Amino acid sequence: MIQTDSRAPFLTLTGISKRYGGVRALDGVTFACGRGSIHAVLGENGAGKSTLIKIVSGVVQPDEGVMRLDGREVAFPNPAAANRAGVVCVFQELSLMPDLTVADNILAADPPRRFGLIDGRAQRRRAEELLASIGCADVDPRLRVRDLPLSRRQMVEIAKALAKKPRLLILDEATSALTAADVERVYAMLRRLKADGVAILYISHRMHEIDALADTLSVFRNGRHIETFAKGARSPDRIVELMIGREITAQYPPKPRRSRPKPRLEVRDLSWGERLRGLSFSVGSGEIVGLGGLDGQGQKEVLLALFGVLKGVGGTVTVDGRPHRPGSPAEAKDGGLALIPEDRKTEGLMLPMSIADNLVAASLKPLSKGFVIDRAKERAAVADAVRRLQIKIGNADDAVSTLSGGNQQKVVIAKWLMTGPGLILLNDPTRGIDVGTKQEIYRLLRDLADGGAAILFYSTDYDELIGCCDRVSVMYDGRIVRELEGDAITERAIVASALNMGNRVPHHG
Amino acid sequence: MIAGAPLALRADTKPILIAAGFVLVILAVGTAYTLATQGAATLLSPAYLIQQLQTGAFLGLVAAGMMLVILIGHIDLSVAWTLAAAAMTATAVGGPLALPAGLAVGVAVGLLNGIGVAYLRVPSMIFTLGVNAVLRGLMVAQTGGFAPQTAATDAMRFLGAERIAGMPVAVLVWAAVSLLTAGLLSRTAFGKALYGMGNSEAAAYLSGIRTRRVTILAFVLCSVLASLAGVMLAGYSTKAYQGMGDAYVLPAIAAVVIGGTHILGGRGRYLGTVVGVILIVLLNSVLSIMQMPEAGRQVIYGGVIIAMLLVYGRGAPTRS
Repeated sequence: MIQTDSRAPFLTLTGISKRYGGVRALDGVTFACGRGSIHAVLGENGAGKSTLIKIVSGVVQPDEGVMRLDGREVAFPNPAAANRAGVVCVFQELSLMPDLTVADNILAADPPRRFGLIDGRAQRRRAEELLASIGCADVDPRLRVRDLPLSRRQMVEIAKALAKKPRLLILDEATSALTAADVERVYAMLRRLKADGVAILYISHRMHEIDALADTLSVFRNGRHIETFAKGARSPDRIVELMIGREITAQYPPKPRRSRPKPRLEVRDLSWGERLRGLSFSVGSGEIVGLGGLDGQGQKEVLLALFGVLKGVGGTVTVDGRPHRPGSPAEAKDGGLALIPEDRKTEGLMLPMSIADNLVAASLKPLSKGFVIDRAKERAAVADAVRRLQIKIGNADDAVSTLSGGNQQKVVIAKWLMTGPGLILLNDPTRGIDVGTKQEIYRLLRDLADGGAAILFYSTDYDELIGCCDRVSVMYDGRIVRELEGDAITERAIVASALNMGNRVPHHG
Repeated sequence: MIAGAPLALRADTKPILIAAGFVLVILAVGTAYTLATQGAATLLSPAYLIQQLQTGAFLGLVAAGMMLVILIGHIDLSVAWTLAAAAMTATAVGGPLALPAGLAVGVAVGLLNGIGVAYLRVPSMIFTLGVNAVLRGLMVAQTGGFAPQTAATDAMRFLGAERIAGMPVAVLVWAAVSLLTAGLLSRTAFGKALYGMGNSEAAAYLSGIRTRRVTILAFVLCSVLASLAGVMLAGYSTKAYQGMGDAYVLPAIAAVVIGGTHILGGRGRYLGTVVGVILIVLLNSVLSIMQMPEAGRQVIYGGVIIAMLLVYGRGAPTRS
């Protein structure tokens, strides 16, 4: 057996590029990750981290560049091929089958067999061992995944990854759903794997986790690999600078200085099951109010509740002084609301349909005369929307799927502007789109606010909240824990409140 | 035929051209057979073609309604007994109220299907299959399982069997319904909503489209067209009979799909459904002229449908 040089990196990428439509997700990335190392990958949303992971784990294929594993050139046509080579990924979105048992899920890819049939007993034993190795001996492998709480499911997900005996383990925000005790268990497990010589790529937005765990850090920005350094070699301030880069400054339109306007949207004690626990806030005409905090603290639910998607919402909401209780998005629309949804590909757009059809989808009634759509009016409205948002299109009859991510998002926004909304709800509207379009969207939001609209804006990008919003309400566990205004909106303040550390203000109501 | 896009053939036009081409192939093969055996091109005579349209009119009405439901990603398997129940009700009621009574059956069944799918969220394939069985049971209970003794009214006979200036009234009704359906799909908010929901129900719902209302309306229109076909078919054959709709369910779905409408919804043009109906009617007719035994006819019939879908599947790649 040939002894491989243990200092040679296990995974090396050379000149890897990937485009999605018009967007360059990765641009000539050269990157290496060694054995027995916990290697943190840092970057803002859209920096290319997820694309990097997807390429390494075989979910997507690079347009150009070479990937080597253990010195050998590899190309993974699918995740199964990557698994066979020892590359295993724990994805942020849970990939478990809810109606199968824990044991079935953990060993789904390669269950132990006897005479060609699945050996249930061996499968259970193996699942028990794996769960015990990550300190989850309390999870019964015979339970259905559906019956487990979210944090346990995430642990099952990790056990499933370990079942594949990884040589390179990738964790993508894998701790975001875990309880503090489980996080400690995962740390212990990762350190053990590291000692065993496994290469670990660790993606997290939580700096303290990276501090506690990683030995090497790499920063990505705008699809490029900026720098790799040992932990402690760069100050936290410098790391943030590397992540943000210089071109970010001054990309936001100036905020007007004025006294707080009269509220247009007033929310009192908004509640919905366990996810929203009595929020009160208001948004005034001409104001952009941000919703901040870690992902999944109820921000999306606030928007969906206001837009009539959720059933059984408690509390009172008034819009322009009138009570607002929409039973469906259609009613919310009639009340002058607009929602730019989270996932433009499934919730925002009908992808195979034409750009024109997508643009008019929310305005079919005003564009109709009696039952029949007024073609001239429709064409004029489409041309107007394309011009107003400077959407780069060939022909309005082309499928909207042919556009780049940024232009697709512009179509979603233009669709709603066509309805002339007074209150605009945005759910992370700039995720995965290029910097240029982002800037146009910021400009547009400010213009809309100046035109009298009230804007409620959820973003996972703190920088965006700081740059765009007149006020930011930081959420934690279904409550607003802090409201920041003006110069008090800083990354430090948002992060501190998002983690619910100190500086707590009693929430309203 | 293809306005404004001379080079890039619209993806939803290609299946229509293929189906239309196949219609010509069927006519050519059939004509070659009749020339060889009878020495006459019977298939190309106006009398034969008009007779085919007459036969196709009933299937065409059912397929038009079916297309609306398929466009939103659902299916209606209850058309068979909706058709029969409407026919039986119409002949039983008789008099001037026969036609409205038959159509009322369609409205009721459509509402039931629509509510079951839109509000109770039962998959349409299961719900409409159940409704079909219930309707059959009700009709058997009503008639004792025998062909009803009541006859079609004059109005039904007029719609189903008579001709105006040589053209069957049924064909004229089909043409009128076709014009309305084509306009409905391309020119109204309802039509756009059908396509939108078929592509992404979530996006349509979040765009403020009243998706439940649209679903119910689609099922009602489908059932009403099936019941219209039933009433007219009873007029054509002078009375209603058990199982008169059974021969229409699968051919209607096949006609819609052969015409290029995506079986999972969201894509397709009405013209395609018309071509699909003509194709199926001609294929059946030519196979029987060629004295193909029933077993062989079924095999060829099914094989043609599968083959055409394979051709479309390769021809229209989708991207996401």
